[in-house]
Amino acid sequence: MFDRSVHILASFEWSVIWDNRGLFWDGFKHTIKAGALGFVLAYVVGLVLGAVRAHRIPVLNQVAVTYVELIRNTPILVQIIFLYYGLPVLGVHLETFTVAWLSITIWGGAFMTENFRAGFEAVPPRLREAGYALGFTPLKAFLNVTLPIGGRIALPSTINTAISVVKNTSLLLIIGYPELTYVANSIQSNTFRVFEAFSALAVCYLTIVWALSALIRFLEARLALPEAL
Amino acid sequence: MPLVPDWFRPVAEYMLREGLPETLRIAAIALVASVAIGLTLGTLMTIRFFPLRWLIRFYVEVWRGLPILVTVLFIYWLPAYDIGSFHLQLNAYQSAALGLSLWGSAQVAEATRGAVQSIPKEQHEAAAALGFGWIGRHRFVILPQATRRLLPPMVGLLVNIIQNTTIAFVIGVNEFLQAGTRQFENVTSGLTGQVAPSYAPFMIFGFVMLGFFVICFPLTRLAAYLEKRLVV
Repeated sequence: MFDRSVHILASFEWSVIWDNRGLFWDGFKHTIKAGALGFVLAYVVGLVLGAVRAHRIPVLNQVAVTYVELIRNTPILVQIIFLYYGLPVLGVHLETFTVAWLSITIWGGAFMTENFRAGFEAVPPRLREAGYALGFTPLKAFLNVTLPIGGRIALPSTINTAISVVKNTSLLLIIGYPELTYVANSIQSNTFRVFEAFSALAVCYLTIVWALSALIRFLEARLALPEAL
Repeated sequence: MPLVPDWFRPVAEYMLREGLPETLRIAAIALVASVAIGLTLGTLMTIRFFPLRWLIRFYVEVWRGLPILVTVLFIYWLPAYDIGSFHLQLNAYQSAALGLSLWGSAQVAEATRGAVQSIPKEQHEAAAALGFGWIGRHRFVILPQATRRLLPPMVGLLVNIIQNTTIAFVIGVNEFLQAGTRQFENVTSGLTGQVAPSYAPFMIFGFVMLGFFVICFPLTRLAAYLEKRLVV
């Protein structure tokens, strides 16, 4: 076993990674493009629907619950395939890139909704009532009281969801979106250098994910609420 | 019009007969392996011996940080490996189960560490006073109490594992989604002799979603219920 591991290390061809650096860079850009768009839009969906859920706005609340439960209880891979192969039947033809960002937004939005709902509901009602007593309209009270406090409570869990959104871009391989995993997989099948291609891929993902995790810890320290509510 | 169209009946039967058991089997293997490895590593992580702690921390961060698809593809494509006379080559099914177990064990380890550390140190001291060693103390006193806190996330993990078995689809395991895709290719190519309507993919992949929903929804509710009942 020792022989073998020495053999793998000794035969590690750095040139496989170096020669394909252009391909990896393109894949990285595609991952970031879909990932960043999904990341931002998932926050928007989560903020709006989280507020709807926390305030129990009739009709919209039921729609949001249905959406959240449907998405959280089905695999994202099936959702991607459904958007890509199932929707054209209804006359909705989506481009690969559209399916790419849309699918991870839909998935991330459902989890973000739950993150923000929990955050908003953790804000004591008396704070909002104090806002009303000062003459705030319900919208103003939400923007000035519930959002700043509840948003801070929800922040760490939303970043965890955002990390998952970025990791889920790897699944876009199956619809042929040329992101990092797609690139590494095709390099691997062209050169048979599995170890080199996937080591480089793993380093890329771990860099992104660990950087975002560090951001959570930083924000948790910076934005911690000064005292117990 | 019948409730289930003629062309769809054999499709659904194939998916439920061939695909679903495969999905559940992979999920069961991954769950058992994740819980066994994760409980052990998570408990060991509470020992104040930094090389061991860092080693387990590295294991957890790597397998949690990588997308499961990347882990599974990596394992699947690795060339055959000879240890002495033992020839190691994992097929698609084993690669998927191993990849899911690595990810799942990292999740369980992290949850276990938190749960074990949340047990007051008086419990450790009382167990030690009764003459328990480190293993006995954790096996009979600490872990049974930590289980209470661990149960809701474990049910959540099961839901995640079941959903993530679909990753095995990518490397060709005939699980629920793959079975659906194969049937989709069959009916649209006319191989089955039945003429499938144009809405066939919508219905087949909708059925895949429905199948997962029926399994996962009760488990999600159970996790939420346990969270309310058991924690505090």
